[in-house]
Amino acid sequence: MTHAAFSRRTLMRGGLAAGLLTVPGVRHVAYAAGGAGGQDRTLVVVFLRGGADTLNLVAPADDPDYVAARAPDMRVSTGGAGAGLPIAQRLAPAVDFRLHPEAAPLADLYTARHLTIIPATGIPDGTRSHFVAQDLMERGVAAEADLSRTPTGWAARWTAAPGPGGAGPLAVAAASSTPAALAGDGAALAVNGLQYGLAPPGGPRTAAVLQALHANDPTPYGRAGRAALDGLARVDARLPRAQPGGPVEPYAAEGGAVYEDTEAGRGLLTVARLLKMDMGVRLAWVDVGGWDTHENQPPRFAAAVRQLSRALAAFHADTSRFHGSLAVVVMTEFGRRLRSNRSQGTDHGHAGTMLVLGGGVDGGMLGRWPGLATAQLDRGVDLAVTTDYRAVLSAVMGPAAARSVFPGYGGGPLPGLWG
Amino acid sequence: MMTVPSTTVLNRLAFGPRPGEGAEVERLGLERWLARQLAPDPHDDPHAAAALSACRLRITYDAGEGWAKTDEDRPLASLDKPPEALWPLNDGKLPFAGPERQWPRNEVAAATLLRAVHSQWQVREVMADFWHNHFNVYGVERAVGVLLPLYDRDVIRAHALGNFRAFLEAVACSGAMLVYLNNRTSRAGIANENYARELFELHTLGRDAYLNALYNRWRDVPGAAAGKPAGYIDQDVYEAARAFTGWTLADGAGLGGGVSLPATGRFAYVENWHDNYQKRVLGQEFDPFQGPLADGRRVLDLVADHPATARHLAFKLCRRLVADDPPKRLVDAAARTWAENRRAPDQIARVVRAIVLSPEFAAAPPSKVRRPLELVAGFARAAVPDFTVTMGLIRELDGGGQRLFGQPAPTGYPDTADAWTGAAAMRRRWALVMGLAENRWGTGAAALPAGTPPPATAQAAAEAWQRTLFAGPPDPAVTAAVLPGVGLAPGVPLPADPHKAGEVLHRLAAYVAMAPRFNLR
Repeated sequence: MTHAAFSRRTLMRGGLAAGLLTVPGVRHVAYAAGGAGGQDRTLVVVFLRGGADTLNLVAPADDPDYVAARAPDMRVSTGGAGAGLPIAQRLAPAVDFRLHPEAAPLADLYTARHLTIIPATGIPDGTRSHFVAQDLMERGVAAEADLSRTPTGWAARWTAAPGPGGAGPLAVAAASSTPAALAGDGAALAVNGLQYGLAPPGGPRTAAVLQALHANDPTPYGRAGRAALDGLARVDARLPRAQPGGPVEPYAAEGGAVYEDTEAGRGLLTVARLLKMDMGVRLAWVDVGGWDTHENQPPRFAAAVRQLSRALAAFHADTSRFHGSLAVVVMTEFGRRLRSNRSQGTDHGHAGTMLVLGGGVDGGMLGRWPGLATAQLDRGVDLAVTTDYRAVLSAVMGPAAARSVFPGYGGGPLPGLWG
Repeated sequence: MMTVPSTTVLNRLAFGPRPGEGAEVERLGLERWLARQLAPDPHDDPHAAAALSACRLRITYDAGEGWAKTDEDRPLASLDKPPEALWPLNDGKLPFAGPERQWPRNEVAAATLLRAVHSQWQVREVMADFWHNHFNVYGVERAVGVLLPLYDRDVIRAHALGNFRAFLEAVACSGAMLVYLNNRTSRAGIANENYARELFELHTLGRDAYLNALYNRWRDVPGAAAGKPAGYIDQDVYEAARAFTGWTLADGAGLGGGVSLPATGRFAYVENWHDNYQKRVLGQEFDPFQGPLADGRRVLDLVADHPATARHLAFKLCRRLVADDPPKRLVDAAARTWAENRRAPDQIARVVRAIVLSPEFAAAPPSKVRRPLELVAGFARAAVPDFTVTMGLIRELDGGGQRLFGQPAPTGYPDTADAWTGAAAMRRRWALVMGLAENRWGTGAAALPAGTPPPATAQAAAEAWQRTLFAGPPDPAVTAAVLPGVGLAPGVPLPADPHKAGEVLHRLAAYVAMAPRFNLR
């Protein structure tokens, strides 16, 4: 029997039945299964909407061009109160890279080699538009000319590719609607939260009426109604209740995890709960807004980083028994301008930073650091893209899966993610 | 000209038909009905005026430093106020409880719902909704929210059927937009690009005309050398941002040397913050030192006149009024009308007229998914004669349906079906119509139209609701789907007890409103 014959689901079922939650051997075998090609891996995408100022999240803190371009409160510093958190890396040994001081939970994960940082990532296209950049990144294409030829999203193509089955839905978004990345996956389920259950209002009689009203409707609206009823019922049936039809049991996070009541915290809690319901979820999507900081950036960005870091750390602790087959990818449509504006903010830029979090990653910083001298910047103003965002996603999915998900992409996976 | 069913007209150009209104459209004919709607007399709107003055919203908060405990039903009092009366709510040094500072947005949300249901000027209401999304601001942000009554009244409603160039300048000078897209703090040196970028991408030329991935230099853009560039690139954004430096809000900000702007909440121009040197936008040279506001106004002239703006706005109007993917021929025709009438004071009304009287409008089947605002208003217009707005309903919409004036992204709410038909969104729709039908938020009792004989049987009740909500003939499949939900066979009489009969009737109204037919327009 090969490792790949163990699916995560059977492993987890076995582990649960035996009462073994965090046995090192289970994690090792599960990782081997996930690593065999990535197809068994579950992806959690955390998308930072609005273009996060990642030069201020993982900062080249002592780079003289960085220091010259920004007032002290607009950047991460190397000393004094509120200095950035140093991180060891071999990508650019001459640069003192530091995490934002509010990212302490991420610094801990980085030190434990559960977090890999890939700076200077993004789209090859030259757009600085939120909506074009998000479209490109969600459809999984490189150039604007490809958008009209690409009606589906990359996440939908990933869940359509062969992989382990399950009761489904295979893709979920912790939101009121699914993102463009899931366009084309008619069974993808968008849910805001699980604490009140997902049954339609009005009890089983209303559910039956809704079934009948949508059963034979040929319009896209009718199809959406059927998909919603089906997906909601599947998940609702698995929510733990003391008695049928009663209130949903409160969620008990594992590993001492505490989720805060923030957009990131609520979304990742919902994802963790869904993963543990063992339905075969292969991709989960969480949007986190608040990154479009053209004005008054220092306090807004600090709060956003704090909330994101704490939510990611809670999720990591809570899902430790899935670590071998789970990868959390944090991405944003673009980074922001190197030079800050006179509103104490930053305008739209080009390259951002991607994070990959999981028990299986090798840690460290990967990719290529292009530098911040004017001649090294994209169009003289923005951090250049040296790693295509699809290289990172390809490394997470495995090369075979990536070829079907990104048919036009020939750049190959980013090496070194899994050691 | 093809004839258009009156139900289609009222579903697309109004927030759904009221009982008897279809007959009115048929009596006048579409052209005359539309001509009247496109020249609304805002002083002649008695039902809306009565609903606005009767509305009471409950405000509740505990005592705090400088204010007493408050728990009262309050009439709508912000809508007519000048900026000087609203702007102090944003002053953190003045003693206002948090709910007071948020209050103006609640009033505008309530007024929007009331007018959508009760106003006789439905085309203006539909267009006000369109423009609020096109020129979206985030009213949950305090400084935006306190200025929202002005934005709704003096900017969006005043120009909703008027001239686009005049509209653009009203938006550019509005406190709500100056705060939301940060032009308020933009000044010479390194300008804030937020407003300038969205002006090009969202308000005017549109993202199809953003050519930054293709060209690095302005002169490389096709047509630029002749002063007629096909689109814009980041260099245009940078230069336009410089042109708007100094366009700000009289918010009390310090100007240096102990001088401050007044705190009136009105538009202000600060010469010291303006970058006066020469610029180039869309292939046009701007000479230095052109005088107050001249640079920004010239940018507005250029973007308003650009052919890409005509295409972008024509497409969005057709998407709103006809279909998610409107026919290209219709969009082209609307864009021509837009461009030909760009100096006309009623430019927008003329474009709406061209779209509505086109063969494509008549031929398009109902395929647009009603957004939650349209769902509430459509249900209330058909079935809640004394509809009013309560904080319960506003909170329900805030909580996940469609938070009015609460969309953080500058795109406004999406106008395509996929954004409103995810599982969570569908569940909210069902809860919304059930809550309205059962008067859960005190917004008014659902009732069949006056003069309808009380239905004798369950089947008759299901059919009566369909005639009311669909404004068309009942569908036997819908009747068969909804009756088991109230546990009654078709021929069974309704319960004799009026309370029980009411429960059955209200539940049936909710079920009929859950049918796909009611959710499409």
